[in-house]
Amino acid sequence: MSHLLPLLIAVPIIGALVPAVLGARRPVISRRLTVGILVGQVGLAVAVLVAVAATGPRTYVVGGLPAAVGIGLRADAVSTVFVLLVAVTAAALYVTVRTDTTGPTDSLWLLFVAGLTGIAVTADVFNLYVFLEISGLAAYALVAGRHGTRAALAAFHYLLVGTIGATLYLLGVGYLYVATGTLGMAGLRADLAAVGYDSPLVVTAFVLVTVGLGVKLALFPLQAWKPDAYAVATPDVSALLATLGSTVPGYALVRLVFDVFTASFLDAVPLVRTGLVVVGVASVAAGGYFALRQSDVRRLLAYSSVLQMGLVVIGIAIATPAAVTAALVLLVGNAVAKGGLYAATGVFARRFGATTVDGYAGLGRDAPLTAGAVSVAFISLVGLPPTVGFAGKWYLVVAAVDSRAWVVVAVVLLSTLVSLAYAGRVVERLYLAAAPGGTEPVATDGGGLADGPARERTVVFVVVAALATVLVGLGSTELAAWFAPVVEGWL
Amino acid sequence: MTDTVSVLPLAAVLLPTLAVPLIYAARTRPRLRETVTLAASIATLVTVWFAVQSPTTLVTPLGSFAGIPFALRADAAALLFALLAALLWVVTSVYSIGYLYALDEHAQTRYFAAFAVSIAATMGVAFAANLLTLFVFYELLTLATYPLVVHAGTAKARAAGRQYIAYTLGGGVAALGGIVLVGVLTGTVTFTPGGIDGLGATDTTLARIAFVLLVVGFGVKTALVPLHGWLPTAMVAPTPVSGLLHAVAVVKSGVFALGRTVLYVFGPETTWDLGLGLPLAAAAAATMVIAGVVGLRQDNLKRGLAYSTVSHLAYIALGLALATPVAVFGAFIHVVAHAFMKISLFFAAGLIYVETGEKYVSDLAGVGRRLPMTMTAFAIAAAGLIGFPLVAGFVSKFHLIVGAAASPHPAFVVAYLVAGVLKLLYFWPVIYTAFFGRRESDSSESRHPFAPPHATDGGYVEQAMWERRSLTREASPLLLAPVVATAAAAVLLGLFPTAFPFWALAEAVVVEVFG
Repeated sequence: MSHLLPLLIAVPIIGALVPAVLGARRPVISRRLTVGILVGQVGLAVAVLVAVAATGPRTYVVGGLPAAVGIGLRADAVSTVFVLLVAVTAAALYVTVRTDTTGPTDSLWLLFVAGLTGIAVTADVFNLYVFLEISGLAAYALVAGRHGTRAALAAFHYLLVGTIGATLYLLGVGYLYVATGTLGMAGLRADLAAVGYDSPLVVTAFVLVTVGLGVKLALFPLQAWKPDAYAVATPDVSALLATLGSTVPGYALVRLVFDVFTASFLDAVPLVRTGLVVVGVASVAAGGYFALRQSDVRRLLAYSSVLQMGLVVIGIAIATPAAVTAALVLLVGNAVAKGGLYAATGVFARRFGATTVDGYAGLGRDAPLTAGAVSVAFISLVGLPPTVGFAGKWYLVVAAVDSRAWVVVAVVLLSTLVSLAYAGRVVERLYLAAAPGGTEPVATDGGGLADGPARERTVVFVVVAALATVLVGLGSTELAAWFAPVVEGWL
Repeated sequence: MTDTVSVLPLAAVLLPTLAVPLIYAARTRPRLRETVTLAASIATLVTVWFAVQSPTTLVTPLGSFAGIPFALRADAAALLFALLAALLWVVTSVYSIGYLYALDEHAQTRYFAAFAVSIAATMGVAFAANLLTLFVFYELLTLATYPLVVHAGTAKARAAGRQYIAYTLGGGVAALGGIVLVGVLTGTVTFTPGGIDGLGATDTTLARIAFVLLVVGFGVKTALVPLHGWLPTAMVAPTPVSGLLHAVAVVKSGVFALGRTVLYVFGPETTWDLGLGLPLAAAAAATMVIAGVVGLRQDNLKRGLAYSTVSHLAYIALGLALATPVAVFGAFIHVVAHAFMKISLFFAAGLIYVETGEKYVSDLAGVGRRLPMTMTAFAIAAAGLIGFPLVAGFVSKFHLIVGAAASPHPAFVVAYLVAGVLKLLYFWPVIYTAFFGRRESDSSESRHPFAPPHATDGGYVEQAMWERRSLTREASPLLLAPVVATAAAAVLLGLFPTAFPFWALAEAVVVEVFG
């Protein structure tokens, strides 16, 4: 049991060799082994979750070195949820949506999982950078994996912006090290208080770290890479990135703000809090505005994520237990809904060649199950009960009212209407617009129509994701209670 | 009354929900599908009936949602609304079958499924034990009725649907804000007869804002002017939808939630102490008069009826706002009375459309000769809405007026009287032309004897004269029976108001709230 935490990272990293070695010559075996590794990862994640539930947070130092210099790992109630989310999503998407399984890209898939899992369980801000880069590089390459200039350009854009973000984060870590001489999260927490929260060094570090992660979260105005990357990637990759690519950095932001800098830092430097609110509100506004103007559904969904991440940041800025719970619930809710929606865009693109809002006209009749699931996922994004989106919004509004942050209350409530407007565009088109002429299946660049079973499995994924938004919503009290000990420990 | 844990409230919500997969499973066999709808509606009615008979208050605790207890509770107000909706669902199901078959409507499976979900949501609104539970079902009701509003799928229906969603979900956002404020101020959102303790003693500004948000939020479905715009537009929906949902379930969910807010969240005393009763009463009074005047100008029969609904819901809202025991009693009785009368009128309007293809009052001159039973039922229900004695509307309006007279602001009696006159002015020409009017083309000289009948909209052949038929062949019994039944029920409610459980339930509400 004691080696579960390092295994969480070691299994996908070492496993990434398998497709690289076997992929070209023994594709079937390679694919099966990859599935095995991903399923094993789910098992590990569950085991860690159970262990944390039974005996509380677990820590591990690689090689038995002292925590100050060693690679520390730590899993608590919050991080295990994200570890499990990463493992389940990666495995489910690989089995259901992924069709292009050639060696190198499967390795990237596993590296992406390793990087994100590492972000979730690391107890060290420098290692967090390393894992951020591992997942980032894998993501750039996965986007570039689709042939064509558009993919190459989008991946290059993503690479440039992502690298700048990671570099800013690293700079921030450097400042932290200069200020305190340590990189472990627990040590930093104590030492930062000793250095003084209003020290320019600490404030600068916070700004750099936040901006760096803000790129990964695609907060306004650092969001431009996201719609490009998600719109050109293959459906499986865009579903994977949309589910996890910003969610886990979002978790990292929560972790860094409350576990390293702590809420006292936010209290000591009110300007930082104001800045977070402004960025959050701007992201909500910009995300909603751009989402309304998109014709490509995948770009629309990317901007919807910008809006959702804005809400998360608002939750972080309010920094009460209810608000942090809201941020975490919104992260999970957005991930589940977006995973299903991006997988659904793949179904529509492959079966009907439809990628735009107008192209979706009348597809509710031809693909009733997928369209129904899409509607449910959109309802969650809008934030109507009983979905998880509503639960997150509810906690956020309660927290904002409790803190008497009226502007935030208004913004969060109005975001519902903006989300409704963009979601309504798509859903109304799905069901009500007369289909333009023939609706025979059209083969598009995504490959032929022969991928019947894969398509069916994709629909299963979409439906399960939609159901999950409802089930997690119904279980939101339990989810919040699961987060509660950690969240209250932070505050 | 003591609380007993029971599954009955949950069953009332689940039975219509469970019908949905069965309706889809039977989509290729319409008769089986309609049997499912009928069986579910009867089962729901029986369930609610058992809950009404229970000597104790039945409660279904359902854990918690987003940190707030999620529970259904069958108190008197809940039972009154649920019984009404369940009863009329049975009647409307029969009518729907006749209506959809007669017009050979498309997407019938979607129609029946969405209808069942709407009823489930209405049951949830009725039985909700606190504001959050109510809100969940309130929003669900919006979503479930949307496919029914846009049923026709035309550009007009889509525009109506967009407007419907924007109004109702916009209102939902305001209501959510109000609910959160109440929760933060008092630490609870559970309905308490006479009001949640201490709400008036907290920050009064925030309490006032919470009240305004809740009234605006629920006022959208109540169709208070100026939040009423969606209702006349939503008449583009098939007539059974207009009848049950937009005269009973949806709008009354709004006014029911308003009643919960005034009587069970703020309480009559706090509402008036905070100075909130008078503005709400004034808004309601203005609504009933304005809608009455605007309604006079409507030639489209269903739109005219919609404005009448706007006006009548304001009767109820005014009774709730004045918050005297008699006025509240009258308001709850009027919820029932208006439901029976208005659904009769909509059923009649739908029957007229099925049989003649006419939608405009001006085209209905003399239609009473073609549809004597229907138009008689129409006239009786209309008389009830105007407030003639011997029909349900008189009883409820009497109590509303007495209640208003006993309130600190007896001037509101005038509003009821003016609104009554406006109803008379609206309905009298409709009834008069239906029975005594003549079409311009009724005089055969005006047309060449060999002129071919010309097709009007809908492909119906306009006849020079209304065809006369025997009473038994007036219309399909599936359409005619519900019209006659609901109109007869309206009369019975007027003759023997105390014989129905609604009376005792409304009394129980008053006792519970005012002690």
